[in-house]
Amino acid sequence: MRIVQTRRISQVFFFTLFLWFCIVSTIGEQFWQIRAWPANLFLQLDPLVAIGTILTTHTLYWPLLWALATVVLTIIFGRFFCSWVCPFGSIHHFVGFLGSRKKTTPQKIQLNKYRKAQCIKYFVLIVFLFMAAFPSLASSLQTGLLDPIPLVTRSVNLVLLPILDSSVNFVSVTSRFYVGAWLIFAIFLAAVLFNLLIPRFYCRFVCPLGALFGIIDRFAIWRIGKNQSECIDCKLCEKSCEGGCEPAGNIRISECVLCFNCLDDCKHELISYQSQPSLAGEITNPDMSRRSFVLSLASGILAIPAVRLSNKIGSNWFHKVIRPPGALTEEEFLKRCIKCGQCMRICPTNVIQPGGIEGGLENLWTPVLNNRIGSSGCQLNCTACGQICPTSAIRPVTLDEKHGKGDFAEAGPIKMGTAFFDRNRCLPWAMDKPCIVCEENCPVSPKAIYTQEVFNTIRDGILTVKKVAGNTIETNETDFILDKFATGDYYCAIGNGQRGKITANTENTIVISSDTWFEKAPAKGDKIEIQVRLQRPYVDIEKCTGCGVCEHECPVSGKKAIRVSAEGETRSFDRTLLLGSGPAA
Amino acid sequence: MANTGRDKSLQSIISLCLLAVLCLIAIAVLIKQSDADMTRFGVEITEEQTSIAPDGYKTLSEIKTYTAENLYEKINGKAPLYTESGFKKLSTQQFISSTDPNLWAELYIFDMGQAKNAFSVYSTQIRAEAKFLPEFEFTYKTANALYFVHGGCYVELVGSSEAAELSSAIAEIGRRVRTNLPVDTDSQIPELAIFPKENLVPGGIKLYLASTFGCEGLTDTFSARYMLEDNEVIAFLSKKTNPSQAQAVAQTYYKFLIDNGGEDKIPKDQSLQAKVLDFYGTTEIVFATGQFVGGIHEAENQQSAEQLAITLLDTLSKVEE
Amino acid sequence: MDEQKNQNFARREFLTRTGKAALSVAAAGAVAWTLYDRKGPSRDPKAKRLVQFPDFSVPKIDGQTISIVKGPDRVKTVDKAIDLLGGIERFVKPGETVAIKPNVAFASSPSLGATTNPELVAEVVRLCYSRGKAKTVYVTDNPINDPASCFMLSGIGRAATAAGAKVIMPKDQLFEITTLKGGTLIRNWPVFFGPFEKADKLIGIAPVKHHLRSGASMTMKNFYGLLGGRRNIFHQNINTIIAELSMMVKPTLVILDGTQVMMTNGPTGGSLSDLRRADTLIASCDMVAADTYGCSLLDLKVSDLPYLAKAENAGSGTTDYQLLKPKFATVS
Repeated sequence: MRIVQTRRISQVFFFTLFLWFCIVSTIGEQFWQIRAWPANLFLQLDPLVAIGTILTTHTLYWPLLWALATVVLTIIFGRFFCSWVCPFGSIHHFVGFLGSRKKTTPQKIQLNKYRKAQCIKYFVLIVFLFMAAFPSLASSLQTGLLDPIPLVTRSVNLVLLPILDSSVNFVSVTSRFYVGAWLIFAIFLAAVLFNLLIPRFYCRFVCPLGALFGIIDRFAIWRIGKNQSECIDCKLCEKSCEGGCEPAGNIRISECVLCFNCLDDCKHELISYQSQPSLAGEITNPDMSRRSFVLSLASGILAIPAVRLSNKIGSNWFHKVIRPPGALTEEEFLKRCIKCGQCMRICPTNVIQPGGIEGGLENLWTPVLNNRIGSSGCQLNCTACGQICPTSAIRPVTLDEKHGKGDFAEAGPIKMGTAFFDRNRCLPWAMDKPCIVCEENCPVSPKAIYTQEVFNTIRDGILTVKKVAGNTIETNETDFILDKFATGDYYCAIGNGQRGKITANTENTIVISSDTWFEKAPAKGDKIEIQVRLQRPYVDIEKCTGCGVCEHECPVSGKKAIRVSAEGETRSFDRTLLLGSGPAA
Repeated sequence: MANTGRDKSLQSIISLCLLAVLCLIAIAVLIKQSDADMTRFGVEITEEQTSIAPDGYKTLSEIKTYTAENLYEKINGKAPLYTESGFKKLSTQQFISSTDPNLWAELYIFDMGQAKNAFSVYSTQIRAEAKFLPEFEFTYKTANALYFVHGGCYVELVGSSEAAELSSAIAEIGRRVRTNLPVDTDSQIPELAIFPKENLVPGGIKLYLASTFGCEGLTDTFSARYMLEDNEVIAFLSKKTNPSQAQAVAQTYYKFLIDNGGEDKIPKDQSLQAKVLDFYGTTEIVFATGQFVGGIHEAENQQSAEQLAITLLDTLSKVEE
Repeated sequence: MDEQKNQNFARREFLTRTGKAALSVAAAGAVAWTLYDRKGPSRDPKAKRLVQFPDFSVPKIDGQTISIVKGPDRVKTVDKAIDLLGGIERFVKPGETVAIKPNVAFASSPSLGATTNPELVAEVVRLCYSRGKAKTVYVTDNPINDPASCFMLSGIGRAATAAGAKVIMPKDQLFEITTLKGGTLIRNWPVFFGPFEKADKLIGIAPVKHHLRSGASMTMKNFYGLLGGRRNIFHQNINTIIAELSMMVKPTLVILDGTQVMMTNGPTGGSLSDLRRADTLIASCDMVAADTYGCSLLDLKVSDLPYLAKAENAGSGTTDYQLLKPKFATVS
């Protein structure tokens, strides 16, 4: 068995495993649905996630300990991850292979030459690391934008899977939606298509994870190299070189991804995986000049303070950035969120959406609740997002903590925001139409929406009595629609505060419920009023958790008559609405 | 790795080792995949839900509770009956058959605070076709439902149909509710024992907490149905805090009867120490003895009424304080 | 020979490299070990540093707790009022640092009475330096409007600097988090702490003003300026927050300026007709007593200001100022 065959098997294995984890991230009890731990394995193995969060939080969150294994293996063996494990890398490898199939050998060798631009990925890495590095100045974890594992996780989970599933609805019973997925798709597509120009384009030029590996593999005990100095320089070894590392000459160890194609292609078996440096010479350092290094460093350090001048995490915060329950306070959240999209993937109601830049640049692809989408706002008895978040940007809260029960009774329930009525649009407030769908759906007990009863005289509702017979009043006016007032919401007011429910009507008569007994019945010529009984809803802001079911269910479906915004969220001080609420002391 | 033969076999050995590692990873993932612990993902499995549902049935949703403010949402116009009798909260849950979705039952547990209140709402809405269950106190069933008092709670179990299978499931749920619900210590109702047992119709005792027989001043009153030789006679009694209050209440009720058309009449039995009235053809009797107000309500037969009244008076005067 | 040398060289290179690899692995392991976090982040954003305001009060002297001086000239009345309590020397010792907290809340002209009168501030500063022999005097506040405009338009900035004091602006770095012991509202709340951390004594100077929400704004409400963050939320429970301010801050001395009292449209006023001349100035070691006397200048009763009773119950002073044997005087 040749080593390249094993490498291909390994790529297929890990790619399949990756796809399996994408499918598995679904709530349910079936075998193929969520079992928690393994689903985040690739994100946990990714050392850029671990190192990024170490820099921003000065802690290593325990599930990310897996990354130590990757780091140790890379230090000892080299950049095995890129061509044996990374699912994004496998995609690039395959598309690159497709793209160069029709090309001649000299053309392929030309494509795999080392290019100076391959040093760009090191600058990307340095910029990201220094954006994260100084919590006292302003630090933010933006590695998720270009880190391949979160990127491919996002792209598959939020774009490819929903598209493929939408016709069969196997993975998800209802079709899933993700706002702004077009951008995620565009970036994914671009990265994949560039492989047709140069194989492994992303890996060679952009990938910050590859850059990280390239820096730490300099002491690898075994490396690719020539085991003899006599070589006819046919350069066949570079025909399928994935890393662009030039094994024919001074091999660049930091670029070699251990695909072993050179070892396989060399007809003279001159190339081996050996403990001594290549007899044709090797270069271990990444190709970075000091000037470029300093420039990247400075850009990284200045970038986040520059972005933060918009004050989008201070008083200029955007009210529609409603974070999932259990999210940390905004500054801490941005230090941990890697924009992997797992929370959006697992959310059973599809309410968690990728954020856009209206909340600030750092808000891109972070989780934000959009109650218009999905099945029902944030479900009361669900904590899935926090359970799956790989970095604890959303904490894995228990239901007790979410509801404010048991040990958390004093702290109270977690609030994501508060619902506000738009009385200009709400049916009972502005249109004299009964409706309390919001109140019916409010899931907390006691409800956070309560109503006050009001009787309003309807349009053209003042009538003149013509004749009264028992419970039936005939009026002078004769244009009522049959039984329009018989819905149980209409009342006939005859003065002195007397009022009876209308049970039936014809074009000119009103029948009042026999339960009613008027002290003084109306007489001919009296004025009576048709009134609609409205239950006007109010939000009890002490109880509202901002779950958004009301907004979702509101029948005014364009611009909802009740909308949640993030004021009152318990995770932040400066956004609390009520005295005595907010983070407990 | 210069030698051809060694080179190939070394690659093979290493390859096999690596493939073995991949297999181990696959096995580990599969093992983890079969572990069905879902509680981390917010699927709440509470003790109550699993143990109350009988075999072949599962709960349809989680337990819903209602307070006095929103009770009407669940039971509409009947809410005042409860809210005016000390209602604290209502817990409801639905059970559905795993095999036949047409068979389902809804459990209502009205927490009335104390046994007296629960008994009151229980007794004042006993269905006409009630079949009292002798093995339990304050329990009756109808063709599709079960009603009982348990501690301070009034429990209703209403089924979607009269199917025998559903009835036995309802009975089982009722049994489990009794074992699982903690019973209030305040579950004794002493007044029930006071009524003379002879001729008492089973399950015929009601408790009115607010106004009784239309009279606002007569509260907290027990009424009991008797059958004396084919004549139905309703006796009533109410324990007040002291004799003078009992006298006052008796007077209030007597005056109420007079104001509404009652007329004094001479008792047939002279030994009866009570006010006897004719009320549109029926006999009403009112008396006060010690701390008790008592009497007979709307009896067809004056003689039976007076007979029962004397028995009741006798019993009450012997009651120890 | 060459071959041997090459081999040795290769072996040494290999060993060195292996050694460095091992060290890297060890370093990675060490980083993972020390930073390993089994618990994950907690719900509440931890305060970097929880501070407490020092107690700036001086020992009580019977009969020298509160003084009330009548007269039209603030400079003269404040001198007399402080002298009646033992003179500035009782309060400020040589070489000490004094923080003065006037009311600079609004970018408003001194004649409108919404802020502390600059002449009064200047005189107190002068006393601290000349008779108290203070080393440094700070004049500071955390205004509601833009700080620079407030210090400028109120005249306090110039007056303080002219008298030799240092004006301290409320920069972000000077705020810390505090939790008041026994407080229900001031918990994990940012406060303007920097100048007070370094001070030995604290003197508050406030005008007597009507305030629509709390009834009045006097010496205790003056310390609302020390609250940071979105402090307007406390208006939902205004009387409790004022009482808690009196628990949080124990000043050396407070001066309540009732020379021109804002009778209506407080706390911003805006019109000369809102003011009424009362020509009274109060100096006090007891804020509750000072405010109690002050409410009489606003034609209010103690019961009109619930925060007075709350502060008294919290132990910050007494509303029965007669018990303190107040000293009265008149200065023409």
